[in-house]
This record gives sequence, structure tokens and C-alpha cells, in this order.
Amino acid sequence: MVRNESYKTPRFSLRQLDSLLGYVLVAPLVCCILLLVIYPFFFAIYISFTDRVIGSEGEFVGFANYLAIVQKPDFQASISNTIVLVGAVQSIKLFIGLGLAVLLNQNIRARFFWRGLILLPWAMPAFVAFITWKLLFAPQGGAFNYILINLDLVTTHVDFLSRDLAMPSVITASVWRGFPFWVISFLAAMQNIPRELYESAALDGANAWQRFLHITMPGIRHVVLVVILISTIWTTNSFEAVWLMTGGGPSNATMTFPVLAYYGLQSLRIGEAAAVSVSMLPVFAVLALIVAVNLQRED
Amino acid sequence: MFDRTTWWQSILYYTLLILVAIAILFPVYYMFNISLKLPKDIYRTPSLLPVNATLKNYEDLVTEYDFLINLRNSLFVASSATFVSVVFSSMAAYSLVRLKYLYRDWIGRLILFTYLTPSGLLFIPLSVIVARLQLGNTLHGLIFVYLTFAAPLSTWMLMGYFKSIPIDLEEQAMVDGATRIQAFYMILLPLAAPGLVAVSVFTFTAAWNELLYALIFITSPDLQTVPVAISRLITGDVFRWGLIMAGAFLAALPVMILYYLAQRFVVQGLAAGAVKG
Amino acid sequence: MKRFTTTKLFFGVTLLLLGMLALTPALAQEKFVYWGGLIFSEAANNLFVERVEQWGEENNIDVEVVMINQNETVQTVSAAIEAGTMPDALDLGRDFMLLLSQQDQLVALNDLYAEIGEAHGGWLESAESLVTSEEFEDNIYGIPYATNGNVLYRRNDLLEPAGYAEAPETWEELGEMARAVNDPPNVYSMSFALSNVGDGNLTTTMLQSWGGRIADDDGVNCTIDSEETRAFLEWITTAYADGLFPPGATTWDGAGDNTAYQSGQAVFIANPGSVRNYLVENDPELAEATLFSALPAGPAMRISPVNTVVRSIPVTSEKQDLAADLIAYLADDEFIAEYYSSAIYGPALVSHQEAPIFAESAVHAGLLDLALNGTPGAFPDKTNAAFAEYQTNFLTPRMIQRIVIDSISIDDAIAETQEACQAIYDKYQ
Repeated sequence: MVRNESYKTPRFSLRQLDSLLGYVLVAPLVCCILLLVIYPFFFAIYISFTDRVIGSEGEFVGFANYLAIVQKPDFQASISNTIVLVGAVQSIKLFIGLGLAVLLNQNIRARFFWRGLILLPWAMPAFVAFITWKLLFAPQGGAFNYILINLDLVTTHVDFLSRDLAMPSVITASVWRGFPFWVISFLAAMQNIPRELYESAALDGANAWQRFLHITMPGIRHVVLVVILISTIWTTNSFEAVWLMTGGGPSNATMTFPVLAYYGLQSLRIGEAAAVSVSMLPVFAVLALIVAVNLQRED
Repeated sequence: MFDRTTWWQSILYYTLLILVAIAILFPVYYMFNISLKLPKDIYRTPSLLPVNATLKNYEDLVTEYDFLINLRNSLFVASSATFVSVVFSSMAAYSLVRLKYLYRDWIGRLILFTYLTPSGLLFIPLSVIVARLQLGNTLHGLIFVYLTFAAPLSTWMLMGYFKSIPIDLEEQAMVDGATRIQAFYMILLPLAAPGLVAVSVFTFTAAWNELLYALIFITSPDLQTVPVAISRLITGDVFRWGLIMAGAFLAALPVMILYYLAQRFVVQGLAAGAVKG
Repeated sequence: MKRFTTTKLFFGVTLLLLGMLALTPALAQEKFVYWGGLIFSEAANNLFVERVEQWGEENNIDVEVVMINQNETVQTVSAAIEAGTMPDALDLGRDFMLLLSQQDQLVALNDLYAEIGEAHGGWLESAESLVTSEEFEDNIYGIPYATNGNVLYRRNDLLEPAGYAEAPETWEELGEMARAVNDPPNVYSMSFALSNVGDGNLTTTMLQSWGGRIADDDGVNCTIDSEETRAFLEWITTAYADGLFPPGATTWDGAGDNTAYQSGQAVFIANPGSVRNYLVENDPELAEATLFSALPAGPAMRISPVNTVVRSIPVTSEKQDLAADLIAYLADDEFIAEYYSSAIYGPALVSHQEAPIFAESAVHAGLLDLALNGTPGAFPDKTNAAFAEYQTNFLTPRMIQRIVIDSISIDDAIAETQEACQAIYDKYQ
């Protein structure tokens, strides 16, 4: 057994040594973050105030980029589309997540198997998942149209990615890929609720719905909140679903913020592209604040 | 919930589960189905069962497209990023949970904040930094970026996990003469194993699946990762669906197996990270 | 003791991995790097790589050839410019070359251009006009290595029995033929994209062939609002209403028309040639049933845009002389003849017309015809940056979508597009 030197010759107090150790242990991560996230972050904000085009430094132009983008119909469309997409995806996932978690928390045989199965979509690479869905939705050669036509349910191909159906289609694919995280998190939280609570409630004659409302929900409330917030940030940020399935079309019907920013990059005007990304930040800041408050709340 | 499950409840439960299973498995099955078909059959005879099933796509991927090299690269990148990320984040989490120092909470917030940054914002600045560090077109550059993106979430989950482990054991060890560091890796880390497995699985998956940055940072063919290799099967306006789906299936398989085997830890890790965090 | 070993192991592995990160081999900058354009022909891609490597061997130069997927060229090049990691030479589309040259990213290659032209009997007019247009201000930033454009594919096995053995001469004739063989949901005859992708801009070509114009001769004021535009929109929206376009044509990505044709569910498509490559390799039956011709004419004229792909040298290259030497080496007649036979391109140089494939394959003959008789760039509109932006914003297909999807009137759609177009042109005054 090795004795700690500081016990014998305390040149530093134990407290000082601890805080030194604290800094040392957290330093590698903080250094990485400062270099690869914080610095680029402020750099990007700076770029959004310049007329920078790929290959030139660009000059400070104040809010010109912001004024230019808010006038674009794509930008206006992307605000409402992002809200609709995120809102719908999150509420459906909440509903399915709670439902399936309750279901899996019953006396189910082979729960291990079912739980593993439910994790499957989440284990699939996002871009793989979404090009598969694109193929499923395709008018020609797509599975859904094949089934619908062969069952004589429709007489002509359904265009799942048309203006009216594109958003529901993107929502379906996003829910498919994203719901496992919700089910599994909720299930994990439910399994942490002491069984005795349910047993005594059952003795008091509470029915299943009452037990769900008064025991399960309060027990998992915190997790539900955290999952909603984290997943909202993921979903708002994610660009694969829209980019791979519709590219924001048709006629902006599915244009969202990240896709719009990516288009900006393609036109080489990175000042404008950065402005699109930066204008999302206030929303993220609010979400981040709520998450931070909730996560850091001492229990 | 703890009533005896009646027969009609059972029927209801399993019917629901089977419906969910179909919804989950159908796209995966369709992908597999396409991967067994030749281009002509994919387009000309769409079907739910493979027509003229063949393993030709898999064979071509391995022999003509050097897919094994891509798999090797992905494996190297994902496992290195995972290892370093878990080391960094468990150190950071320990520091943030067990040690007291000035600005500790601010550092914690900084790490969380990182996690919430829109990644599209970092695209161009990040490619500049990676190039300045001489890490452009190297797998190490990718590892560095992935570990930085994955470590904040890992840190948060591990902080939750560490908090759920009573401090007494470590204190006892230190009274017995162990140093803090020894108490950390000999007492705390083994107890936190499920949490470590969970964050490893998350990090591995994220690194294994990442496409955008890999596409930009890696140009040499012999350094391309699996997602990049698959994206190259879409050349111009031609989707080589059979090959794409075969590649996708091979890419998804290891991760799906990993999740299936590690699901218990994933659940525990998530629970601790989210509940106690 | 045992505990001590675990400590050592733990920190040992950590240090090792950190060391690996730190000791990343410095970029092999001594290498000569070429970014070639990855196209849908493995044979052509391989030929190209071999040729560059052969040049490296002959000159004792360490070369690295990277084939960049054309779908990702813009992102890859943008990131590389910002990061200062551009290659020594690269293949580009003509419009992207224009953008990059305006950002002073490319070396002027006037001498090399003249030299290669001389060695190969001169440049074809179409290629020349594309790289010497006014915006380049007498500099040449890219050496064309091929021309490309759309060829009309038609299903002869369906059309001939219906009494249409000849290729359609005009778009209206094509519409008539399409009506005769339309058979939804099995066959939708006019599989032309009406969506926001490059293929959708075929509608701009159609509009021009009706006599419509995007802007005036000076390329300053938009002139979309015209009787010709109205007539064209009447025609195309009627065809849409009659169900000649497949469902999904307004949302297709670049592969939509390919998929439709490869599924045997299309009669007409306009495609540069990748579909033909696919058919020959995978579906000989359908390849047999397919005939090729030039894009039809409209009531006013025949427009069949021809474009070019070029090789350029970034200003950051430290081996510009070598790069120039390689570009000349790649223009070799024998190599190009072999390359063209697997790739789907028309020639850019006079001597390259002699490649045997242009006599052997119908689709290649079509591409040669395009190189000789096609209309370069934006013709009859002025080829300028504003027109390019009009096209990358897909304003013509969007205008059609507004009518057929959003059901607004033709007049409203024209007014809207006219305004959006003018906003773009105003930016470049």
C-alpha cells in the first residue's frame, strides 16, 4: 500500500490538493471543449456579422445578414415548419414512449427481447434509417405504394413526399427513429419506483389509471422533463431526416432551420449561413437554461 | 399493475407488442430484402419477398469496394473515440461530483452548454481548426472531434451515476490509506461499471454513425469510414440501392447487436444519468 | 501489488492513446494531390486514377488521387478552402469554377489552354464559349475535359406499336405521343422532374424554347412576364393535369427520373447518360427498347443546353507547373478515347471527336451532336451569375409547382416569379 505523501509533509492542505486534483481531472475535457466547441462557436457568431464568402475574409456588416434572411420566404417557412415538426414529433414520441414503457413494465414474458427490439431503430445509423424510409415512401419501387396498389386500396400511386404528405411522412420517419430513447428512459425510471408503493396503493383500492397518475407519473416526472428537453434539442438540430427525404421541399413544405443553414453553406455565403444557425440560438439558450436548472438541481 | 394479469390483458399486451414489433421490423426487413436483390429486380419487380435472392451485393461490397477497409477504419475511430471519451469524461465527472473547487459549477454548466450547441454552426470553423492542428484527412482528427462531441453527454450521465454511489466506501478506503486516485479507480469505477458501459455504447454508436464531419475531414479513400463509403454509393443521380442497403445492413448489424447485449446497462445508465443527474 | 499493476495499466493505456493522438503523422504535404470527379462508371473512375498514377510514375512524383463524389464537391471544397487544404489540381463543374474564380481561388491558365488547344486541333466552340464568357474577364480558369448535357430517352417498345417510330421533333409532338401511351399507374409518360433539383431546370430550357426569356439581352432586367411564358405554362400545366407526369415529379430528388425509367414506368426522360450506363450493365432488355435523340424544339426554337466540366489549379498549390503538366497529359487523345467509352461525356477538343465510341453508341452520338450543335450555358439568355442563381434557386420549377400544387393562377405564379427573379438580378447590379 502506498501512502500519500501529503499525509506526512503537508506542503499543501488536503483541501488545496483536492481542488488542484479537481482541476487536473477536468482539464482534458475542458481543453477539448474550449478548442473544438467554444472557440468555433464564438467564431461562427462573429462570421454571422460579416459578409464572408468562402475564401475571403469578409467585412463586418452588422445585422445585414439577419435582415436579408428574415425577408426570405424560406426563412419564414422554416420557422413554422421547425415548430410543427418538432412539436408533432415530440408529442407523438411522448405518447408512444409513455404507453410502451407502461406496457413493458407489466408482467411481460421475455422483456429482455422486447426491450432489445425496441432499441433497434435507435441503433440504426440515422442516415441509413432515413434513406430506407425514403425508399419505403417512394412512388416507384416503394414498399408502401406496392402494398397499397396490390391490395387495391388505391388506384394511382400515392406521393408520400408531396406538399401535403411530406411533413407527415418526415414526422413518421423521425418518430420511428427517435422513440426508443423515450421508451427506454421512461422504463428505466419506472423500474426505479419502489414496488411497495404500488402494492400499498393496490391495497387501498386504487385502480390502474389512478396508480399511473399518482405513483408512476410523479416518480418519472423528472426523467420525462429531461428527456423532452434533450430530445427537443436533438430533433431541432437534426437535419438528416429532412435533408435525405425531401431536401426541404416541395416548395418549402418541409424546410427547417438546419437544412436552410446547410443550403447557405452550399451557396458559399457562410456569413449568411452562420446567421441562419445563430438565429436559432435564443431558442436553444432557453432550452439549455431549463435543462441546466433541472439537471443541476441538487436532489 | 400488480394485479394478476388476466388472459384478456395478456392478449392485449402481446397484440400491442406484436404491432410495435412489425412497425419496427418492417423497414429493417425491407432494407435486408433490397440488399438481396439485383438492381433490375429492385426496380422492375418490387416485392416484399426477395426475388432471385442473391448475396452478390455483399460480395461486391467486399471485393470491389473494399468495404472491409471502411469497417476497419470505423472500428478504429469509434473504439478509440469511445475509450478516450470515457477516460476523459469519467475523470471530469469524478472531479465535478466528488471534489470541491472554485468555479466547479460553472465548469459543469460549460460542459452541458457544449452539448446543446447546434452542430451546423461549427462546420466551417471546425474544419479550419482541424486543419491547423494538422489533423485534416487523418482518422485521429475524426477521433478528436467525436470524443469532444460525445464526452459532454457522457460526463453528465456519469455524474448522475457517481452521485448515486454512496461516498462512504471511498472514504473508508481513504481512511485505510488509499489515495484519492486509488479510491476513484479501485472503488468508484468498478461500482459505476454499468454507467461506463452505457456511455461507451452511446459514444461508440455516435462515432460509428457519424457522416457529415467524416465526409468533410476525410478525403483519402483508404481512410473513409463506413457512412462515407455508403454515401459514395450514391453517385450523381444514381442510387445503387442494392449495394447501399447491403452496406447499411452491415453497418447497422454490429451496433444493433451491441445494443441488444448491452441493453441492461444502457437502461441503468440512462436511469442514473437522467434521474439522479 | 495487484492494485499497482492496474494503475499502471490504466494510465499506460491512456498515455499510449494520447500519445497516438499527439504523434499523428504530419500531413504528407510532399505528395501531389489531385481531386478527380467521381462519376457513375467504375471503369471510367479507375481509368482516370490509373492515368494519373502512371504520370506520377513517369515523372517520379508521389501522387495521391482522390475521387470526390460530385454530390459533395461544394461542401468538400468549401471546407478545404477555409482550412487551406486544397489539392494541387481538381475537376470542377463549370458553374462552380466560376464561383471559385470570382473568389480568386483559381489560377489563370490562358497559356495552358492555348497550348492544349493547339495540340489537339483546337477547342470546340461550345466548350470554348463556356470558359471564356465575359465574367471571366479574359482569364481562363478551367481546362475543359468534356462536355455534357441532356439527351432524350424514349421507350421505343411502347411508342412504336402506338405508331410513333420517330423521335419527337417538338415538345408539343412529345406531349401528343405521351398522351397516346400514358397508362397510370403503370406508366406515366413524361417523367421530367418538376422539383427543386438540377433536373427540374429542364423546365427553364423548355420555357426558353417557347421563346420565353428569364432576362433581357443585357442580363439586367427579368422578363419572365411574357406571352411566351404564359403559353409554355399553359402547355405544361395541362399535361400535368392530364396525368402525364408521375406523382412525385414535383418532389423528386436528382434520381427520380432515373428510378422511374429504370422501373420501366416512364416513356420519356431527359438524362445525361447515367441511366444508359445503368441499363447496359443491369437491364439489357430495357436498354434494347430505348432510343436516344436530341431534346425537342419548342414553338420558337430548339434549346439544348450544353455544359462543360473542367480541370483547375487552386492558387494555394505549390506545384502549379506540375499540375499544368498533368492536365496536358490527361488530354491525351488515346486516353480520352478510352475514358469516354466508359464515361458518358461529349468531347471538348476537336481531336477528341474522333474517339470511336461516338460512332458506336447512340447515346454518345447524341452527346457529340450536343457538343457540336447544343446551346451553351444560358442561351438565349445571358450566361451570368444572376442567371446561375436563378437556376440554383429553381425558380422555373417552383413557378410550375405553385400552379399545379398550390393551385394559384398562371398569372399570379408569373408575377411572383418575376418579382423573385428581379430580386436576384438586382443583387448583381
